[in-house]
Amino acid sequence: MRIEVDWTRCDGHGLCARLLPEKVGLDEWGFPVIDTPEIGDDLVPHARRAVGACPALALRLVPG
Amino acid sequence: MLETHPTVSRLLTAPAGTPRHRNQDELVGLAQQVRLLGRGGAGFPVATKLAAMPRGRAVQVLVNGSESEPASQKDRTLMRQAPHLVLDGALLVARALDTRHVTVLVHDPGATDALTRAVRERSDASRVRVVAHAGGFVSGEVRAAIRLVDGAPAVPPGRRVLPHESGVGGAPTFASNVETFAQLALLSSLGADGYAAIGSAAEPGTTLLTLVGDVSGPGVVEVPTGLPLAALLPGQDTDPRPVLIGGYHGSWVSDIRDLRVERPGLREAGLPLNAGVVARLSNDTCALAEVVAVSTWLAGQSAGQCGPCFFGLPAVARDAYALLHGRPSTADLDRRVAQLPGRGACAHPDGAAMFIRTALTTMTAEVEEHRRHGTCGRPWLQELPTGPAPAVRSAS
Repeated sequence: MRIEVDWTRCDGHGLCARLLPEKVGLDEWGFPVIDTPEIGDDLVPHARRAVGACPALALRLVPG
Repeated sequence: MLETHPTVSRLLTAPAGTPRHRNQDELVGLAQQVRLLGRGGAGFPVATKLAAMPRGRAVQVLVNGSESEPASQKDRTLMRQAPHLVLDGALLVARALDTRHVTVLVHDPGATDALTRAVRERSDASRVRVVAHAGGFVSGEVRAAIRLVDGAPAVPPGRRVLPHESGVGGAPTFASNVETFAQLALLSSLGADGYAAIGSAAEPGTTLLTLVGDVSGPGVVEVPTGLPLAALLPGQDTDPRPVLIGGYHGSWVSDIRDLRVERPGLREAGLPLNAGVVARLSNDTCALAEVVAVSTWLAGQSAGQCGPCFFGLPAVARDAYALLHGRPSTADLDRRVAQLPGRGACAHPDGAAMFIRTALTTMTAEVEEHRRHGTCGRPWLQELPTGPAPAVRSAS
């Protein structure tokens, strides 16, 4: 699995970085920085939680 | 003005006349044989794009002539000088796909007039729609162009939907740059062998370029592919200066000895030709100021949809401005530029990052001069245009 950001929706709320700090950092304006989008099986539940928590519905978990 | 390098004139002086009908398979085969690549920027293989298209009355053909990069003139020149060839190509594709829906999206008023006149002059183009718009840089991005034609805001959508699946009005759409359509018309008339009689083996035929700044003859030229870049940039071997390949989403380089005008080879060298802008700065202008001006323009062209681009590009432009006035370190700029790629709905932040990053690595001597003295002593001559394009000068 892989996480993807819809950049047109993201408003930099930053919840993803709180819920999935293993994968998501924040830049100086609070927008996510994701160096490697691939999500290992162990992190999938956390990634799903981050996707569900995004107030802008900007985060997606996609196959691949 | 143009005797100094070999130009050809195939596209810009092509005779008007409907090329012979080709069905989809034939057209795909022809495009495959001459390895035709899209001429808008991405350089995608035309055969692959065409083969993916369904056929039928609902299918749309979109001719993207929005050319909104101020340094590029080749599309408007082609539309002004050979509007019928562009229409030939569009109608050829439409017929091969069993549709009559053709939309031409144009930015330049002169090109709009030429195309509108050309549509009226012929009997087979009554269904061709010419849409004029005044959008910014990213509105030329193909998915933004589709939204514009549909009357929506001309910004790239957040989800990656391909035009051949859902384009104009939600219908499958074959969308490409104006020059691609003109090349297809020529290809159909000449056949694969005739088309490939000139140019390189990797990308046969010709290509349009816009030459900017201190070059052999500024303006639009048509050259055979495979031409050594040095032929367009006399004196580069004895007095190497920063050369920009691929326009404002392109890359700076100073050693061009092994480079040829040919998309596959340039891409392999990490220097995509994009929409065909090649620029060289003279020794009289402040190169860093030119880069700052374009960086500021690029920042202003953000559609404002995506945070990393909307905030990142102006910050990078301010960092570049600080270097111009002697900031000792490039660390802030390097960090911010490195964060741009891949973080937007379109490739604007990626392209802008490429432009700025390669400028600073190519212009190390200039940056050092500014670091030491706060200036290089040269004025900013605005050799790289950032405003409305000047009058077209072309090679015919």
